[in-house]
Amino acid sequence: MRPSFFHHLHPPTIPARQARLRYTLASGGLAVFLSLILLVTGLLEMFYYIPTPDQAAASIQTLTFLVPYGGLVRNLHYWTAQFLVIVTLVHLLRVILTGAYAPPRRLNYLIGMGLLVLAILLDFTGYILRWDEGIRWALVTGTNLVKSIPLIGNALYTLLVGGTQPGPATLIRFYGWHIFGLTLAAGILIAWHTFRVRRDGGIAVPPPPLREDQRRITRYELVRREVLAMLLSATALLLLSSFAPAPLAAPITATSVSQTARAPWFFLWVQQMLKLGNPFFWGVVVPLAVLVLLSLIPYVFPKPAKPELGRWFPKSNRLAQVVALLILISMIALTLLALRPAS
Amino acid sequence: MRRYLLLAASIFLLLGLLIAAWQENRHPKPIALTPTLTGQVEYCLTCHSDLAQISNSHPVNTFGCVICHGGEPLALDANLAHSTLRGGKNPSDFSVVQASCGGSNCHSGTVESYNNHIQRATTSIQATYAGAIAIMRYTYGAQSSLAALFGVNAVQDIQSTSGITSLQAFDPAAETNPQLQLFGQNCLTCHLSAQPIQTGGRYDHFTGCAACHTPTQSADLVSVDTTTATQVHKLTTAISYTQCDTCHNRGNYDLRTMTFQPRTDLVANRLQDYYQPIAQFTQCEYTLDCIDCHTRTEAMGDGSLYGSKLDIQYIQCTTCHGTLTELPQTRALTDPNDLAFRLALLNPVVDLKLGDTILVTGKGEPLWNTRVLPDGTYQLVGKATGQVFSFNPVMGSACTQNGVDQSSDYCHTCHSVQR
Repeated sequence: MRPSFFHHLHPPTIPARQARLRYTLASGGLAVFLSLILLVTGLLEMFYYIPTPDQAAASIQTLTFLVPYGGLVRNLHYWTAQFLVIVTLVHLLRVILTGAYAPPRRLNYLIGMGLLVLAILLDFTGYILRWDEGIRWALVTGTNLVKSIPLIGNALYTLLVGGTQPGPATLIRFYGWHIFGLTLAAGILIAWHTFRVRRDGGIAVPPPPLREDQRRITRYELVRREVLAMLLSATALLLLSSFAPAPLAAPITATSVSQTARAPWFFLWVQQMLKLGNPFFWGVVVPLAVLVLLSLIPYVFPKPAKPELGRWFPKSNRLAQVVALLILISMIALTLLALRPAS
Repeated sequence: MRRYLLLAASIFLLLGLLIAAWQENRHPKPIALTPTLTGQVEYCLTCHSDLAQISNSHPVNTFGCVICHGGEPLALDANLAHSTLRGGKNPSDFSVVQASCGGSNCHSGTVESYNNHIQRATTSIQATYAGAIAIMRYTYGAQSSLAALFGVNAVQDIQSTSGITSLQAFDPAAETNPQLQLFGQNCLTCHLSAQPIQTGGRYDHFTGCAACHTPTQSADLVSVDTTTATQVHKLTTAISYTQCDTCHNRGNYDLRTMTFQPRTDLVANRLQDYYQPIAQFTQCEYTLDCIDCHTRTEAMGDGSLYGSKLDIQYIQCTTCHGTLTELPQTRALTDPNDLAFRLALLNPVVDLKLGDTILVTGKGEPLWNTRVLPDGTYQLVGKATGQVFSFNPVMGSACTQNGVDQSSDYCHTCHSVQR
């Protein structure tokens, strides 16, 4: 049988030991699948969404309540986006905790970091597109953070917001970034990332003589496993989206007062740090430092030993594991602190 | 990998799709309404189609819901749809009344003061409580005269015909005398912005315009359940005495403890239990509804600020009955634009015609539910009941009261009802 197009996207065989769910967590493949769901549901939403301040929230209400299956499509888009951020983080964690970023995969690790940033930016811009009372605080706080950057802050703010305060120009810019700028960049990086996976020799494994298990699975088996993961995750998303509606609040009006003073969940850790003082330091420098630190792992931390590749927690990259887990625990702790009800 | 796993997962996805479709069809079918006044589609009727039209003057096809109530017209989620309601379930609360009921085509802003109902109601003594506050502050030495300086809310008088141009908001916390602080806490329970002291009973009323115009008490003395919108979605000018009764004559203020003592006996017999036990009243005062005699200006003000109830309440026995030497004032309706016709239209208990002669107050306000009959006697139709009453002038009767002392107190001396 000649391989189909979809089979051809995969290598003819891959090592059986590293193809198991307990090693990959299916996170890379799921990230691609979730991105495709987001593309399709996002395209459908574009038929109804009106990117102007007075129409945005109303058009989302129309889509959600009045368009047949519109609410389902919007809920799918919302939940898939949240899971994409989680799955991307899990993917990053898997790569660090297995030492899979070792050369020659350092460049692809950086591309992956870029995709994580894009996933978060896409989630944030999509969140802002709601343009309702629920996002007002995060929009004002988030854009004001940009202003706090010395020297270039004001220019960056004007570039981002399109004026001296959020308004129609801001919404159309966020819309442009969401549906085109960031999406295009993400599409290119996804293609590059998957291409590099193949070019760098597929999934990270020790050199052939050092492998304990020489068995391999075929691309047909791999595709079957991927289809199974897609079917199960699609079912889960469908059920979640049928019963858990995506957040929606009243439109922003000149006289309304925002009830919510809370960032979207993936920025709650930053929100909690902002309470510590200097917004530029805690809101810009520290998050960027975390990003830079994570990105430098393949370059400055001790390299994972080749014989230890292809398994969890190799001894040779302990330092990277400890750093990544400490960052993760700090982020979770800060998020939980931010979620505490105000006393 | 075993192939049945793929088959099972496919069946799961199919089930997921079926559940999603089932969930989608559980939603009620949207009911659209595009009121002619706004031209903006709203879907409130999807859930509220059982609601009675609020009044004949506010047809739902013309007004819809959102123009008065606010809310999210497109949302079919109750929490979201109701999140921007003006004044919760009562858009006529004075904090939001301008947005809900105002507008130059509606109840504010017209040049004729008789149409500027919001200005009238918010400056009225029922809203400001200015007289009570002034008397209390004067009594406890917080001010040196009885002049009205404070109201429940800060308010301006745009006409300023009464000499009082504005009232400051009364702040009990700013008072030094503890009695005045207690007064502020316990005794400001009846003005038009105050929440009723009890709900679900004879004190139950809304705030703002709805305090009077939305009946929360039925005429047969059974409290209406105000928690069900279907029972109270009503605006009327046919206001029964039971509605006035939610504030007036339903208890006493104890000036020693500065507390309100509610009446525990429900009004079962209007003659026995209505009014305070020591009060004197005449037959018409417990047979008629309050609004049969007391005019809209007395109740809702005339747009100017007053410092005391006495300055605005002026209906006396003589208004309808005259004196020994004078007949009550009357007016022949020759102008089709006479206010009397407008008022009769809003509450059509009488069929007023051009050429009819009606009684008028000393200020010339039409008592549009009265009529002078050809034989020189008078007729009054109950505004809330439609009941027809006949009555006679004092002139020509056996009354011996002198012509100078004509306030109602004097009439009560002979004409009060025994109980």
